[in-house]
Amino acid sequence: MKYKYIIIGGSAGSFQAVTRILESLPKTFTMPIFLALHRLKHVRTGFVEALSIKSKLPIVEPVDKEHIKQGKIYLAPANYHMYIELGNYIALSTEEAVNHSRPSIDLSFYSAAFAFKEKLIGIILSGANKDGASGLKYVADAGGLTIVQNPDECQVRTMTTAAIKTARVDYIYTTDQIIEFLLKLPQ
Amino acid sequence: MIITQDDITLFVEAIKSVSDYDFSEYSIKSFTRRIEKILVDYKTDLPLLTNRIRHDDKFLEQIVKDITVNTTELFRDPKVWQTIKYRILTRLNDQDKISIWHAGCSTGQEVYSMQILLNELGLLEKSDIFATDINVDVLDVARKGEYIYRFNVEYLENFDKVIKQNPFNESEFFEVPYEKYFDIDKSKDTIKVKPFLKQKPTFFKHDLVKDGDIFHIPFDMILCRNVLIYFNYELQNKIFELFYQYLKEEGSLILGIHESILGPKATKYTKKGLYYTKK
Ligand SMILES: C[S@@+](CC[C@H](N)C(=O)[O-])C[C@H]1O[C@@H](n2cnc3c(N)ncnc32)[C@H](O)[C@@H]1O
Repeated sequence: MKYKYIIIGGSAGSFQAVTRILESLPKTFTMPIFLALHRLKHVRTGFVEALSIKSKLPIVEPVDKEHIKQGKIYLAPANYHMYIELGNYIALSTEEAVNHSRPSIDLSFYSAAFAFKEKLIGIILSGANKDGASGLKYVADAGGLTIVQNPDECQVRTMTTAAIKTARVDYIYTTDQIIEFLLKLPQ
Repeated sequence: MIITQDDITLFVEAIKSVSDYDFSEYSIKSFTRRIEKILVDYKTDLPLLTNRIRHDDKFLEQIVKDITVNTTELFRDPKVWQTIKYRILTRLNDQDKISIWHAGCSTGQEVYSMQILLNELGLLEKSDIFATDINVDVLDVARKGEYIYRFNVEYLENFDKVIKQNPFNESEFFEVPYEKYFDIDKSKDTIKVKPFLKQKPTFFKHDLVKDGDIFHIPFDMILCRNVLIYFNYELQNKIFELFYQYLKEEGSLILGIHESILGPKATKYTKKGLYYTKK
């Protein structure tokens, strides 16, 4: 099996796609998943709970230096950037927003691409700014697989069209196709 | 330009060779990112930067300040402050003195949040408060206690949650006007803390990596929030050991909301929800 980690970035309009993806994954899905999702500035709590309702896999907002484990989903905490470090753990930072965003999708994607190279699948979903486009390019350049949600399906298409313009994209998929693809991955 | 791990190591070694600063155990991703930002801001490259810090002390000091991340807020994470108010300070009520250390206090919002809380509880007079940081510029701002209103106004909501409301008893409500603690001038876009809040805290430079114990008093409470995320795991453990020595028996350690004692030092502390106490 080639791919071992998944990172998903999204912003405005991505919540539905993310919840649908998460609820479709079986308990036996072992690949760790990292979620770098923008959220409203004042909504700092309750997001994990909202995402967890239908997910069979545990979702956590990691603490700094937390070890990455199989079968877990890691959501970048509100107002922190989330990095993947060499040595299989997560690091957080409160440095200034990038592209007006903290968490920054690009920063998480850069670090994941650097740490996991060709073992990584990067997915960009609906969103209202260009964050994530450059991050997805890093994933592609490091030999990883790239997927972008079909802009026609997105509530806001800015993020996905920017990603398609910037990065080498392997697949442009609807949410259903993304799910189908993930379920077919050898575990 | 892509910065490699080796470039960073050389840079850190250069700083070490000409100063007391040691960044060798900082968290590598965020440290590298700071350096990338500095290279862009100064329109330079890493060899040039490394060379210049070797010969220019003033410049080195500036770069050290640029490396640090100073984001902070009034009553950041209100839940933590509610815990301090109702779970920690209530236990310290009967003591003659309360000693508190803010390690990595940045521009002081955390320190003044604590002052306000202590004052509301009638504990300010008997408190000793030390607030330290590696970056002397943020300490100057902290001493002034003057901030830009538009960057801080959103955190007055946190003030309401911590000072006006009691999450453990929803019928309780304290009408505390902002003017009790702040002079707000919207036309000048400033929010200043009242002078009486500036009397207690002593702000001074202290580098957690190398400065060790300079207080010689044990603490009831150490706050070190969103500072250790910039340190690697090994350095974090060293600091947890230091804090252990500085704390009184049963003293409280308050970390950032997404920080945790993960390593061998965990056995020396008891985790109590949002904070730790010394065993
Ligand atoms: C993100 S701020 C946290 C401010 C505040 N505690 C809060 O949580 O809102 C981190 C602070 O740690 C300081 N810092 C970084 N390295 C340090 C060191 N070695 N010793 C002391 N302070 C340090 C930085 O200068 C910065 O002001």
